[in-house]
Amino acid sequence: MRKQWYRLDNAALIFPAVMRKNWNNVFRVSATLKDQVDPETLSRAASDLVKRFPTVFVRLRTGFFWYYLETLNEAPPVEEDYAWPLTPMTRRKLKKCCIRILYYQNRIAVEFFHSVTDGTGGMAFLQNLTARYLALKEGIDIPPGGNIVDPAEAPKAEETRDCFQLCGAEVSVSRREENAYRLRGNPEEDFFRHIVTGIVPTETLLEKAHAEKVTVTAYLSAVMAEAVLARQKEDPEPGRRGHIKITVPVNLRKTFGMNTMRNFTLAVNIGFDPRLGEYSHEEICRLMYHQLAAETIRQKMAGRVTTNVELQRSVPLRLIPLPVKTLAMRLVYALSGESKGCLNISNMGQVSVPDSIGKYIERFDFVIGVQYSYPNNCSVVSWQGKTYISMIRGIRDSELERLFFTRLVEEGIPVEIESNRR
Amino acid sequence: MYCVYCGVKLQEGAGECPLCHTPVAVPADPGLQPEKNGAWSDRYPRAEKHSGKYLAIGLVTAIMLAAALSCLIFCLKRTGQAGWSGYVALGLALAWVWLVLPTLFSRWKPMIFLPVGFACTAGYLLYICAKTGGNWFLSFAFPVTALVAVMTLAGVAMMRYIVQGRLRLMSLLVIFIGLSFMLIEFFEHISFGTPMFEWSLYCVSVFCLIGLFLFVASFVPGMRAWLRRKFFF
Repeated sequence: MRKQWYRLDNAALIFPAVMRKNWNNVFRVSATLKDQVDPETLSRAASDLVKRFPTVFVRLRTGFFWYYLETLNEAPPVEEDYAWPLTPMTRRKLKKCCIRILYYQNRIAVEFFHSVTDGTGGMAFLQNLTARYLALKEGIDIPPGGNIVDPAEAPKAEETRDCFQLCGAEVSVSRREENAYRLRGNPEEDFFRHIVTGIVPTETLLEKAHAEKVTVTAYLSAVMAEAVLARQKEDPEPGRRGHIKITVPVNLRKTFGMNTMRNFTLAVNIGFDPRLGEYSHEEICRLMYHQLAAETIRQKMAGRVTTNVELQRSVPLRLIPLPVKTLAMRLVYALSGESKGCLNISNMGQVSVPDSIGKYIERFDFVIGVQYSYPNNCSVVSWQGKTYISMIRGIRDSELERLFFTRLVEEGIPVEIESNRR
Repeated sequence: MYCVYCGVKLQEGAGECPLCHTPVAVPADPGLQPEKNGAWSDRYPRAEKHSGKYLAIGLVTAIMLAAALSCLIFCLKRTGQAGWSGYVALGLALAWVWLVLPTLFSRWKPMIFLPVGFACTAGYLLYICAKTGGNWFLSFAFPVTALVAVMTLAGVAMMRYIVQGRLRLMSLLVIFIGLSFMLIEFFEHISFGTPMFEWSLYCVSVFCLIGLFLFVASFVPGMRAWLRRKFFF
């Protein structure tokens, strides 16, 4: 089969350039089934999807001016899961495949290099992989619908397009903003990632958010901001104190009414400056909600997309050879890439699948990796009445998680905690 | 099973609370052992083998060796002596010591590689001095190489082995680097008879200004934090 190749979408350009030996931008989605996973059937299911998802089964290649993705003819071998999520995808591994399909006990997990797709695209792929697996394992007929597609049909053109190129505004919006307080800690020596998942009832979480007249994302961002603020107050270096800002990735598919299997997300930073005075919980909730609403309107998002796309379209910049471009991108990223937020809260929202496969699935999880300089990150997904809040960290200290989850308990939300242990 | 401190519900079989690390005690079963790792495997990722590394080193060495030998053979055949090919061969050897030799070891050991590199550089300069019939090696090349070596080693040692007060030490090093330009110009003066302290004064003023800025910043937490934020890598 002739190999296809894809340019990296606008959001994906930065990830290969800034990756390090033991860090790169990866995320993971997983489905826990009610029965033990059979690796052979899972492998067959993955192979069945290779032609249907050409932008997912890809490897990273180096061009003279840009990196690009090349389609694979075969699915990567399924592997047993590791002791922690998101083990490094090294350059060598990315040259073979940009995704990793894992299984452990009842769980099917897929880890993606972020240049391939975003959380929404990743979840759509996982649902299809799970559906195909169940179709092979249980012999059930799963009609296409929602995110589930027919594996025999050809991929749609809209799934492979770079939507960033289609939704810009006439003018760009400045990226200038204040730097945020940086969380720190003693890193784990072998790049172990601690994952603490808090399971809360979605109904109660919604009630609490609605009582504050805010959305769940704004509410969780507010609680997280309070936890970061408490950490900042304990910081022995008062000179480091600054803005408390939470980075919230926004799914642009809904904003612009477009669909794609590539990246189509833009992050906004919402927060406040605690040096201006004390804030109550209600005030923080309102601040987060209104900032999120103001930042995510379609027009502003279009302007920000234009800012990013303009650089990619600039002819002089395009003519610069890749190694020079990579150096420049690394420098820009080091100076300003991760200085605008304290940590991410990526809320995927409610996941739904057709009833025919829903009855075989226990839960879904979504985990984003730590950034190069953010030691903590948080991701959220809801499934059948429960919300799974996964907090990952690359440091030993679990104080932020403790502050965040105990704050939820204080708010009257029951929290059940799971974690991986060394 | 709940954590008495955090109030969160814990996994069955948890040995301690993952948030506050309070050990779990079950009064009904004091001998209860915690489960190993719940929903997570015990599999650790394998370190990647770098099988291609030695092949690449061998290839680079072979290319350098071939270039050096062909130059030597060509020159010896044409003129009967090493001539210019000696510079090429020793230059390639010097490049190999600086660039390829450290990659043969699993870890970069600057306190070994840097003195070796500087010693070889001094040797190369001695060769050039002897071949050209000059007498600038002892009065200029050797002291300047030694000065650069000492400064580099001091900088590397500071970054690797000193944790506290790095910025202050770095500011002093920057000032010393500035002052060392005056020393270099002094050696230039006694070797080649150039005027004393002309260009070096510009270097001294720039380096001293940067050094003083860093020195002041090392005492001001706000400036220190700004520097850390701007220049992390």
